[in-house]
Amino acid sequence: MEPLKVVVAGPVGAGKSTLIRTLSETEVVDTDALASENIGKATTTVAMDYGTLHLGDQLLYLFGTPGQDRFDFMWDVLSEGALGLLMLIRGDRPEDFGPARRLLDYITSRQPVPFVIGVTRQDQPPVWGPEEVAPFFGVPLERVVGLNAKDPRSAVGPLLRLLELILAEEQAT
Amino acid sequence: MSLDDLLPFLSSRDGALELFNLKRLPRVTLYFRKGKLNCVYLGNKPVDSLQARSVIGELIEARKGSFEFIPNSRPPACPEVLGWPVDRMLISVTTTYDEYAQVSDRLPHPETVFKLTHIAVPDDTRLSDFWKRAHIYLQEGASAQQLSAKLGMPVDHTRFYLLKLQQLGAVAAARAHAPQKQERRAGVAARLLGSLKKRFFGEGSAWSH
Repeated sequence: MEPLKVVVAGPVGAGKSTLIRTLSETEVVDTDALASENIGKATTTVAMDYGTLHLGDQLLYLFGTPGQDRFDFMWDVLSEGALGLLMLIRGDRPEDFGPARRLLDYITSRQPVPFVIGVTRQDQPPVWGPEEVAPFFGVPLERVVGLNAKDPRSAVGPLLRLLELILAEEQAT
Repeated sequence: MSLDDLLPFLSSRDGALELFNLKRLPRVTLYFRKGKLNCVYLGNKPVDSLQARSVIGELIEARKGSFEFIPNSRPPACPEVLGWPVDRMLISVTTTYDEYAQVSDRLPHPETVFKLTHIAVPDDTRLSDFWKRAHIYLQEGASAQQLSAKLGMPVDHTRFYLLKLQQLGAVAAARAHAPQKQERRAGVAARLLGSLKKRFFGEGSAWSH
């Protein structure tokens, strides 16, 4: 059976690498490097993160995109033909919402990929919740899920919602 | 002397201010009459009001160049008389550039395609000039890069205008569609959904958010 891929995107520090590490059943291949500018953490992803999930006989790849603009060519490469896109944003960093919307708009206007927005750090209030984030992105509330990327049962939430939405779209057509 | 110092100084006189040796622009000629900027030429051609705003912005940004003032010179032709009081025009352009600097990390990608969400001319004249020229293309969907080529203005300026229109809800990113792929995915999604719930929540418990 042909492997499928899910792309995890978002600004620097949104929790993309953490989420993939939490969900992947194999050791995550990452391409972290020392940050060359002040981005609020010591290392950052410079090419992609890669993890896997075996679900029955279906292999699912999890690809994390680099958050910095200068790697934008990777957004297209990774998103093409993807089952879906998880756009992560940090709930305690509203200044990142603009760049995240920019990234989401870019990918979804070029690739026909279903998406869900995941708002991380819901375990560390005060944070913005899904009901506050959805209007900013101009999307229905059902497309936004709050999560804690370190907790497997919470981190899988956006992926479950993505699959539910794909199913719902099929039933509606 | 910077352009925003030079313009008020010269604008009380009738004539043409020619600017040349500019990095990103060919020769620019600004025609003044009775304290108003009436016409802008880029090379040998007059520009419309939308392009004129871009040109003035670029001139203020340029910082380096040469100029010559020719008293009582009139434009060979001026299809659209701007009639902009110089002081107000400078405030408007400077404000736009300040805003631009603040939102530079949020400007849409040059290739993101936007579409109109509704037909309504924005009140802000800076945006309405852009909207009037761009809305025909935005009805079908257009990116900043495409609009830049169609409207003859820098791509960063079209990105700025698109962001402002997006903030007003007048445009939204056009989502790409591929119905056939969606159908294929749906069968897969049902299988994955069941397996994922079982993996992370066991047989008995359910995911709820």
